[in-house]
This record gives sequence, C-alpha cells and structure tokens, in this order.
Amino acid sequence: MTRIRSNGPRARFRALPVAITASALLTLTACGGGTTGSSSPGAESLSLAIQSTPNSFDPTQLTDGQAGYVWGALYDTLLYTDNKGKLEPNAAESWKYSSDGLNLTLKLRQGMKFSSGAAVDAAAVKATLERTMATPGAQQGQLASVKSVEAPDATTVVIHLKQPDGSLLATLSMAAGVIGDPATMTQKSTALNPVGSGPYVLDKSSVTGTTYVLKRRADYWNVKAYPFQSVTVKVIQDPTASSNALQAGQINAGPAAPENSAKLKATGYKISPLKATAVANLVLADRAGSILKPLADPRVRQAINMAFDRPKIAEQLLKGAAQPTLQVFNPAGGAYDPALEKTYPFDPAAAKKLLAEAGYANGFSVTMPGFIYTKAFEPTVTQALDDIGIKVKWTPVPAQNNFSAITSKKYPMFLFLDGLSISAREAGNNFTPGGFLNPFHSTDPELTELLGQAAGELDPAKSGAAYKKVNEFAVKDAWSSPISFLGNSWATKGVVYLGDGSNTLSTIRAFGISD
Amino acid sequence: MISYVLRRLGTSLVLTVLVSMITFFLLSTSFDGIVRSILGTGATAATVQAKKAEMGMDRPVIVQYLDWLLHALKGDFGVSYFTSQPVGTAVADHLTVTLSVVVVALFLTAVISVVLGVLAASRGGVVDRLTQVASLFGYIVPNLLLAIGLVVVFAVKLDWLPATGYTPFAESPGRWLASITIPVIALMVGGIANLSAQIRGAMIGELRKDYVRTLRTRGISPRSIVLRHALRNAAGPAFTVLSLEFIAMLGGALIIENVFALPGIGSYSFNAALQGDVPIIMGLSLFGVLFIVGVNLIVDIVNGWLNPKARQQ
Repeated sequence: MTRIRSNGPRARFRALPVAITASALLTLTACGGGTTGSSSPGAESLSLAIQSTPNSFDPTQLTDGQAGYVWGALYDTLLYTDNKGKLEPNAAESWKYSSDGLNLTLKLRQGMKFSSGAAVDAAAVKATLERTMATPGAQQGQLASVKSVEAPDATTVVIHLKQPDGSLLATLSMAAGVIGDPATMTQKSTALNPVGSGPYVLDKSSVTGTTYVLKRRADYWNVKAYPFQSVTVKVIQDPTASSNALQAGQINAGPAAPENSAKLKATGYKISPLKATAVANLVLADRAGSILKPLADPRVRQAINMAFDRPKIAEQLLKGAAQPTLQVFNPAGGAYDPALEKTYPFDPAAAKKLLAEAGYANGFSVTMPGFIYTKAFEPTVTQALDDIGIKVKWTPVPAQNNFSAITSKKYPMFLFLDGLSISAREAGNNFTPGGFLNPFHSTDPELTELLGQAAGELDPAKSGAAYKKVNEFAVKDAWSSPISFLGNSWATKGVVYLGDGSNTLSTIRAFGISD
Repeated sequence: MISYVLRRLGTSLVLTVLVSMITFFLLSTSFDGIVRSILGTGATAATVQAKKAEMGMDRPVIVQYLDWLLHALKGDFGVSYFTSQPVGTAVADHLTVTLSVVVVALFLTAVISVVLGVLAASRGGVVDRLTQVASLFGYIVPNLLLAIGLVVVFAVKLDWLPATGYTPFAESPGRWLASITIPVIALMVGGIANLSAQIRGAMIGELRKDYVRTLRTRGISPRSIVLRHALRNAAGPAFTVLSLEFIAMLGGALIIENVFALPGIGSYSFNAALQGDVPIIMGLSLFGVLFIVGVNLIVDIVNGWLNPKARQQ
C-alpha cells in the first residue's frame, strides 16, 4: 500500500510514507538488537504456545486443560502420570488401598519444600484437599467420593471414601491432587502468583493472560526431571499466529495445524503427531425418549451410527488429523476395543431400513445446539442425517452457555468435543447417571452393574478390562454416535516432545532437550 | 460555550449509565451458563447454586447492577471471574498495547493523509489520479489480508520484524517499535484511504471558493494559500473523519491483535465475551463507552469552537 502511494512523482514526498512506516522502524529495530536474536529461546529454555488462558492459580480453581502447562510447573501433585500414561509416585512416594477400597493411605516424600521455604507435609495435603472439597470450583466435583482426610503424622495422609472410586488415583495426579501452601492458599495473591511446591516459580516478567515466565527452583526435590532452566508459556489463540511465531523462531514448541505442518517441517521443525487427544461425539442423550420419542428405540440410535462415512470425514473434513471411531474411550487406554470399530459400517440404506422397522420410515426432526466448535461439523452432520431421513436444525448457543445448554435437557442430541482422559473419568462423564454428558440421567440395569464392577477395581492396570465391558455395552446399545478422534501435532525445534498421546494431560514433563 | 459543554457532558453521562445497564442486563441471561463454565463439567446443581450465592448472582438483577454501579463509582470494578486479576489492572495493561498501536497508526494516518490529500487537490493531474487509485486500493484491501501478507514477508521470510507478541516501550524502545510496525501499517491503510480522499475533496472545494481567488489576486503565494488558508478551512470535517477513524481502528484492532497475538483490548474483549467474564466485559464496555463519548465530546467541542453555529444545535 505504502509502496504504491510512494510512487508519486515528487521526490520530496516519494520516500515519506515509506520512511515513516517502514525504514525508520526497521533501522530502530536493528538498533534494538533485532527481534529473533534476543527473544528466541535457547537450548536451556522451553518456550511454548498454548491456546487457552490459564485460570486463577488458587488450587480450588485450577483446570485440567492446557492451563496444566503452567500450574503443573508451580505445584506438585501427589501422584504423576508419565508420558506413557502410567501412574507414578510423585509427592507421595507410595500408596495403598484398604481391602474394601474405602481408605487410601499415601506416604509422602520427605524433605519437600514450598517456594517460601516452608515444609511440604501431610497437614498441607489435608488442608488443600479439604479446602478443595469445601470450595465451589472446577475441582470440587473431582473429590465427590471423598468423605474425609486425615493426617496422622507429617508424612502420612489417609483419604476416607464414601464409596470405592476407581478414578481417584488418576485424579490425584491432576489438578485436584496439587499441594497448596496452607499459610498463603487463601490469600488473594495466590490467584495470580502462588506459593507452590512445584519445580518452578512464576517470574515477575509474566503478564497474566498473555505470557507466563517460569524459573526453575534450585531447591526442588526432583529437579532432574525438569531439564529447562526457564519455561515461557505464551497464550496465542490464533493457529496461524502460533505457526508464524514458530517459523520466526519466537517459540520452540507449539501446536501445528495440519495445513501448517509441511511448512514447519521445511523450516526444520520436528512434527510429533498425536493421533487422539479428543473425540467428536454425537451424544444421543435422550435415551428414554422424554422429549424426542424416536431416540428411545435402540434401532434409531443404531441407525444414526450408520449414517456417517467416518473415514471420509476424518480424511476430508478433518484433514487427516483424525481417526474414525465408534467409541468414546481413549484409544491409548485399557477400555478401548478395536473390535468394536466394526459394529456400525457406513450404510445409509441399512440405516433407513432400521428406522422403518422402528416405525420412522418418514424420519423425524431434531434441534441441536450449535457451538463455536461444532460449526465445522454442522453441514456434514446435517447432510449425513438428512440422507437417512432425519432433519437437523441447529440453534446457535453463545460460548459461555455451552455447559448449561447441554445440561438444560432442551436438546435430545448434541455434538460434543470432549478431551480424552482415563477410562474411569470417561465412563463417569458419559455413562453414569450424574455424568455431564448424560444430562437425561439415563440408566440401564446391565450398565449399572458393569459400572459398579469397574469402579470397584482399584488397580488402574486391571480396571481397563472392566471398563471395556462398559464400552461394549455403550457401543452395542448405541448410547452415542462418536464420529472421530481428533488429533493434534506438536512442532518442536531444539527441544523434543516426549509424549505419544497416552497421557492426555498438559504437562511440561512431556518436553525434553533434544540431543 | 460553557453551557454547551455542560449539556454535552450531561447527555454523555446518561448515555454511559444506560449502556452499562443494558450491557449488564443482557449479560444477566447468561449468568447460569457462566457459573457452569467457571465450575467446569463436574459441577453438580448444588455446587452451581453455592457458587451463584457466593458470587451474589442469586439476587435480583437490578440489585446486582446497582451494586456493580456503586462499586464502579468508587473505582472498584471487581476482579476477573477466571484469572482473578483486578479489572482496572487488566484493562489498563491491555489498553496500553492497543493504544500504542492505534495512536501511532492514527498519527501516521493523519500525517500521510494530509500530505496525500493536499498534494492530490493542489497539483491535480497524475498525482491526483495516482492518489485516487492508491486510495481505492487501500479501501478494498481488507486489513486482515494485508496483515497476514506483511507477516509472511517481513517476519517469516525476511526475519526483520517479530511475527507475534508485544514488547513494552519501557523494556526496549527498539523492540517496541518493531513489535508494533506491521500492526500499525495494517491498521492505517484503510484509514489513509478514507481520510486522504476526504481531505482531497474538501481541499478541492476550498480551492474553488471566492476567497482563494481573492487571495491569489492579492499575490499570496500558492503554498501559503493551500497550507495556511484552504487547509485550515478543510480541517474541520477532516477532524471529524479522523475521530471516526480512531473508533474504527479500535474495532479493527480486534482482528489485527489476533493475527499478531498482541495482548491488546481487542483480543482480550473477544476472550472475555467468549468466557462470559462479566466484570471484565463490564469494565471494557464502560471504558469503550467513555472513550467513544469522550472522542465525540472533543470533536463536538472543537467543532463548536470552530463554528459557533454548531453550538446552537
């Protein structure tokens, strides 16, 4: 623009716009030491881009999503899920369930310190857990099975449960398992700059909501597990912007959208694709047919499952960063069963026949909530269901009302993108009467029995088989119509991404220094 | 003049209160959803109720609004529902970024537009036609597209400027300038197209008037006629257009800040709206209203001062 304007015939003015808007600034830039030279991360530092803004750092208000890259560096958790998805000791050196599964005894490591210098002990763990249980927040519900917490001595914590909880150990490796400092936890400053027990402290140069600069603590007990002296987490929402930041060398790790992968590879980035981190699931919620009668018939729900050409959707709509599926369980977890993927092949003719058998030869209409993230799917879903005679109308829902729309019982079906987790939590969210993806509180005697058996299996290594049965029931009875697992890719240069997708938690321990 | 200013101030105040009230009432329909998104997916109905009570959302909306207004009058705008950052600090932090970009863009827009407009009007011919073509080009190229193009060339390919982010002036003036260069260019192109065309038109109008002919016959130099007489008379309407550009640029900043991951008001308000961060949205909308009212007030006062007839409206 300025170039064209500057083509005016008068030499006096020819250079003016350019001079003001570009050259002068460029010259000054050079004086300022350049941009990439001074701000590009070195080998000892990790600089990564995330898309969502971390919440308050008050332990009761933490969230398990990408915010974990920041709070996970500031706080220690009792247990830890490694990059292969295995539960490992962390602040708790060992743990043991009582035979009835109602008491969990944790032994804490000795010599741990908060960044303030105060000792991390059982009393701190008890205080944090009790405060989380009593404070409305994102973590309160995660500890719903806990009755009380005891700290008989400085290194022993006993958690008493109302009923056995197969997901508790995993929960203690997530946000609900952090250890806050009882002396400062309730202070206002905790929300923005907490006293933590973790490997890093928040540096003054951090800007809330924009850039979080983390400096490693020399006195942290497990310092060798964190190779980076400093970690910078930048919130960059636009995928193109984060791709640009990668290419310009401003960050050394960031999400790579499928359309940017080739470009990044060409500039020396290693792309680590994670096949499944979320699932796009059409939840057929009204299984009793209370507001949409046809859904009460399993044949209708099965017909819906046959309406989607999943491989084509994964390839064309999701640009290959996806994996077709009929299951809501993490393919890296024990509940996933490859054999179940053959249950409903794409077959609109068979689907129509099933609908006719169920008494809906002429199909029916349904209204579904349209969220920001469903936009890309809406035309495909509408078309696929229309092909078997089901007319879909989408009602736009503002972003802040996502959860309340789902739980409002206004929508018999809805498309939800859910982050993958561990089997117990996935089963809890989708299939228990209180699960948020089960807003009509559907139950079935057989499923209740299976869920009970699975929850009673306290060894995470063995519970997979039990949840597999839950999964099988849900697929056969068509409780939902999952469409695709969604993957993402990390682009890294100078650092490596160590995860393989087994652990879906956001942790900086998934990054290491490259050789 | 004083009563004129007082009247304008009075209506501005009423407008500000009205807008904040309407915003609050519009948001109130989402309070339930907002509490649920704060609490996350695991929240039970009882937890939602408890949180609503804790946040005072179980009271009538009008009471909640008056509570907000009373606190706001005392300078307490609350804290963000999500990050717990005080609203005043958050808005000020992000405002600095946006204003750095917008004020520089506005200044350059004014300077370049005056130069182009005056040149085009006074010289005519090729200069005029070129300016008009450039103006048309600036008008039709969306600043988003331009921003993306500039990033690809100057940040990604040539590595001269940073692709994303913002460096505060106090930290490093050089890097500050580098971080705002592309956003500023992207923002001002549309403004220059608009304003230079306006100045060109106004200048042509002025130069055809009788007083210009009179000045010429008195032997005043053409340069003095153009710059001292005609431009001064053409400046009033141009000033109004510039003020509108200022407001438009704040809107354009929303898109530009996203492309450059600049932590300004634009991207911040977008986020706050998505999350339903009521204190932040209220703080931002109040600031927005005060800002627009303020700019309009200044324009009205300047116009009233330039043209006494306007004061009687």
